[in-house]
Amino acid sequence: MSWIRFILVFLGGWPLAFGSDEFSDRLEQLLTVSTRDGRLRGRMSGTLEIESYAMQLPAPGLLYSESAFLTAPRWNVFLDVQMGAEFYFFAQVRADRGFDPGAAGAQVRLDEYALRFTPWRDSRLNVQVGRFATAVGNWGARHGAWSNPFITAPLPYENLTGMWDTEAVPLSRVLLLWSHVYPGSQGKETLAEKFQRVPIIWGPSYTTGILVAGELGRWRYAGELKLGSLASRPDAWMHGLEEWTHPTVSGRLGYRPNQMWNLGVSASAGPYLRDFATVNFKTGVGRGDFEQRVVAADVTFGWHQWQMWSEVFASRFCIPKIGDVDTVSYYSEVKYKLTPQWFLAGRWNQQLFSTILDRGVATKWGADVWRIDFSPGYRFSAYTQLKFQYSLQHGDSACRDFTRTLAAQLTLRF
Amino acid sequence: MKKFLLSSYPDGLSRRWAGSIYEAIQELGTWAWRVGSCLGLLGISVEAATIEGRVSLPKVRVAPVINQRYEIIATGGVLGTNPPLAVVYLEGKFAGAATPAVVQMIQREMAFVPALLPVRIGTKVEFPNLDPGFHNIFSFSLAKRFDLGRYRSDEKPVPSQVFDALGLVTLRCDIHEHMRALVLVLDTPYFTITDEEGSFRLIDLPAGAFTLKVWLDSKTIRERPVVLVRDTARRMDFP
Repeated sequence: MSWIRFILVFLGGWPLAFGSDEFSDRLEQLLTVSTRDGRLRGRMSGTLEIESYAMQLPAPGLLYSESAFLTAPRWNVFLDVQMGAEFYFFAQVRADRGFDPGAAGAQVRLDEYALRFTPWRDSRLNVQVGRFATAVGNWGARHGAWSNPFITAPLPYENLTGMWDTEAVPLSRVLLLWSHVYPGSQGKETLAEKFQRVPIIWGPSYTTGILVAGELGRWRYAGELKLGSLASRPDAWMHGLEEWTHPTVSGRLGYRPNQMWNLGVSASAGPYLRDFATVNFKTGVGRGDFEQRVVAADVTFGWHQWQMWSEVFASRFCIPKIGDVDTVSYYSEVKYKLTPQWFLAGRWNQQLFSTILDRGVATKWGADVWRIDFSPGYRFSAYTQLKFQYSLQHGDSACRDFTRTLAAQLTLRF
Repeated sequence: MKKFLLSSYPDGLSRRWAGSIYEAIQELGTWAWRVGSCLGLLGISVEAATIEGRVSLPKVRVAPVINQRYEIIATGGVLGTNPPLAVVYLEGKFAGAATPAVVQMIQREMAFVPALLPVRIGTKVEFPNLDPGFHNIFSFSLAKRFDLGRYRSDEKPVPSQVFDALGLVTLRCDIHEHMRALVLVLDTPYFTITDEEGSFRLIDLPAGAFTLKVWLDSKTIRERPVVLVRDTARRMDFP
């Protein structure tokens, strides 16, 4: 066995090494078990993702690195269990260097788990309890490395605003300093500071909660009660680390005129401030006053080799005694399959910020950003995929006008 | 193939003798086929040969588990899947075979129906989508590599592919990872699928010497020589 083949096998790259999907098909059958009558069935599956980034510092978005080069391997293991037509359970365990790509040590986490109850076969009602991706928007359903044509998330899901969830904004000037937009003091963002900031919506937002969803004709509805707001970070998603005193309420109403189009509007409201940040609050102000309110719209289109997704989010962060600050972010993404194995994708993202009064002067509380992403990808087999991404971002960084990021991701699934 | 055939003869009969007998039977079958063809050309009615038998099928496969993690609305918690079946086909040289027909493999309730489809080389297979949502059929198999993309149920013409190379083609759906189907492309117009008990019946076969093959999976093909005479029925089991 050559060294190359050994390394590929070692990494789990059996389809590449043997040039066939048959091994993976047989492995899939091996990892699927069932009772004799088929009513209770379980399957274990997963992905091995190896992604590398070459970037200009400070690292953009939700990348946590002080080095210009970052490699972040990740092993996802999924468990899907069906119990008749009524119950469905799933879980996702990850071994990686942090929920968001970073230079941290290896860790293993149970990121998702949920039990779903479907009393009727026509899906008019589903009730789900556990820790799972948000129903808001359309990116949550396709954020996995295999189905997502890009490596990084769209701007609303990863561009960190100047808002912190670990400390309440005491003065408008402080918020401008946190955002690095205070006139005359455009310091470089530090990695430590990055751990305080939040985006509009943090990735898929696997927050603990309960969901009610269903389909009535061409309409789809979903409502969820969750532990943290859309902006909350992964540390705040788990029951036990946050209290249920101020749950976040979110919902989505979807309409599908035909198979090609999916339209949806979403809304969410809940506190963005962590529980421990409210300890020194004076009376008259509570955690519930620091609310994040989001309204969003999404559209999905698919036809032949084309796919298109677009979302727009308008988020308000309420700051008692100072005022509300708003931000709007949107993106449009297009994917085209050139051949059965090659695909190309492009994405335009933008985020705009409102103003806040600081000593009588209206100043934007964040730097307006636009970013363009380009991604070619190739599927070696039904189980192996390689993607590249080039991103050009304008704004946000105080160091330069344009920030460039190059990324590659190899995904092996089983 | 010949090695396999000869080794299947009873003990005590030397390979050489077995080979001679086999060739003699083949020759006899060829003559029978020629006579039958001549009678047919003269307008004298003769019935074609028939083979029926039974194949021992493997154990029942485990039904797939649908990934519904991010697709909350998904009908069908328990999917009915085709139990293991076998394809039985006659291999040889066939003169003047008709143009392959157009056949269909549908997508219904998030499954391919049928999940196993034998076709003759050159056959056009249509893939109507009877589900309310999209499917995206693709294949990375060497015998046929394609990606149909996403198409509406009411689109005309129905998306199709011509299977123009011999071999096994695995069909998948890019949206629903549990969906799987097989198209077995054969160089013969004489094939059938067994029922769930393994029974099969091949009718309207020509006279002559052929090989009867049973395809069980990508790694298991059984075969036996057969000489067919018109107006006769033979029984051949594959235990």
